[in-house]
Amino acid sequence: MKVLIVGAGISGLFIAYELVKRGVKDIVVIDSSYPGSGASLRNVSCFRSSFTSPEHVILMKESISIWLKLRDELGMKLEQRGYLWVARKPETMDTFRKLVDFHHQYSIPTRIVDVDEVKNIEPNINTNIVAGAMVDPTAGRMPILENFINLYLRVKSLGVKVVPYTTALKLEASGSRVVRAVTTRGEIESDYFVIAAGGGSAKLVKTVGIDLPIVDIPRHPLVTEPYRETIRSGLIIDWDTPGSPHITQNEHGSFILARDLEDVPEASIYSQRIDAFSHIVKPLVELLPFLTKVNIVRYWMGYYDMTPDHHPIYGPLPPYENLYIAAGFSGHGMMMAPVTGKLIASWILDGKPYIDIANNLTAERFKTGRLVKELAVIG
Amino acid sequence: MGGEVAKKGTIIICRCNDVTLDDLMKAIEMGIDDFELLRRYLRLGFGPCQGRSCIMIAARIFARATGKSLGEVLANYKVRPPIVPIPTKLVLRGVKK
Repeated sequence: MKVLIVGAGISGLFIAYELVKRGVKDIVVIDSSYPGSGASLRNVSCFRSSFTSPEHVILMKESISIWLKLRDELGMKLEQRGYLWVARKPETMDTFRKLVDFHHQYSIPTRIVDVDEVKNIEPNINTNIVAGAMVDPTAGRMPILENFINLYLRVKSLGVKVVPYTTALKLEASGSRVVRAVTTRGEIESDYFVIAAGGGSAKLVKTVGIDLPIVDIPRHPLVTEPYRETIRSGLIIDWDTPGSPHITQNEHGSFILARDLEDVPEASIYSQRIDAFSHIVKPLVELLPFLTKVNIVRYWMGYYDMTPDHHPIYGPLPPYENLYIAAGFSGHGMMMAPVTGKLIASWILDGKPYIDIANNLTAERFKTGRLVKELAVIG
Repeated sequence: MGGEVAKKGTIIICRCNDVTLDDLMKAIEMGIDDFELLRRYLRLGFGPCQGRSCIMIAARIFARATGKSLGEVLANYKVRPPIVPIPTKLVLRGVKK
């Protein structure tokens, strides 16, 4: 049995890893650029399970528990330093209380903290503009570049063929089966096809008549020179400012700052915006005044591959019996990748996902209108 | 590559992140076969100099070790803005309250 995976990002590689662990020998992963060149290595490398839909909460909790097991299994690194959602407006605390109640239903130990405790957790925050915060102690950050390369080397050593710089141009089907992918470097025939190519997935499956509502929305992170540890949390989020500005300090000491800015969907990944700097820095300087003393060293762009309900599209793509999708992660593909790998492997090998709730995330929902609702798409 | 005088562990490739020739050779031996992944693993070009000192040195060594052409090795290398580090204070100047 041969499986072709389109997209050598973190989702594609975790799918390959789970398939090879379950005995699939012939796996090829292709990518249009270098492995990880999409959102996998362009994100701010944080993770959490404190979402606002049962689908996200259950799957992300499972994903984090797999990440934690992967510390021993693969030598992955991650730190549960917590997320800190900061409220500027007193009324936001009511929203936080509702979210905490929801999280507690799923045993996620988020909690409300008052201004004094915010000061205690993050002594450098300007608490004069803060009403309080919500904390998720199970969330955190990881050295994603290192973890990704670790996974890449591991799947290759297990016999997975990773073929970069090879773009899938179209799929070709015969009856109810996809038979081959036509690429810039020839045709590849396979028994199973898994599309894990972010926003590019929609364009590719369109060639066999399937419409998927995935749109690439540009994102704009900045990174500073390294400094001594100044932020303890994995991520601090300025909840009440539009675009939820957020900041993390990575394991090398650099601060990564980002904010969701209004932008042109599908804009080029190289359409950098000079105005991104001030939009991102201004609110975060208000919150963390020491940031006036740091130097920005680099700025890059990445995409959130957004779906209408901000949840991924998983599973089989009828009418084809051998075509699967794992895309549209809407900004959460990296943290979700281990569960993605196990879900798609179980869908292919067992005919169903090993966690039932993943059935709510198939492409079918866009036909039936049973979309999933999510309030907080950040980090 | 410095002949036999200096040990590989003391030959600095990247001065921003203290990456040595030994670090570079070990990463290649580990199986990192793409220059963009090598850069991300060793953080070459991630420092304040934006790769001005390290990239050409590392690219030549990587090309030699993997049998790729220098053009192929550097095909996906992008210089990211700003060209030199800029203080956040500068960014905030002129921002409307």
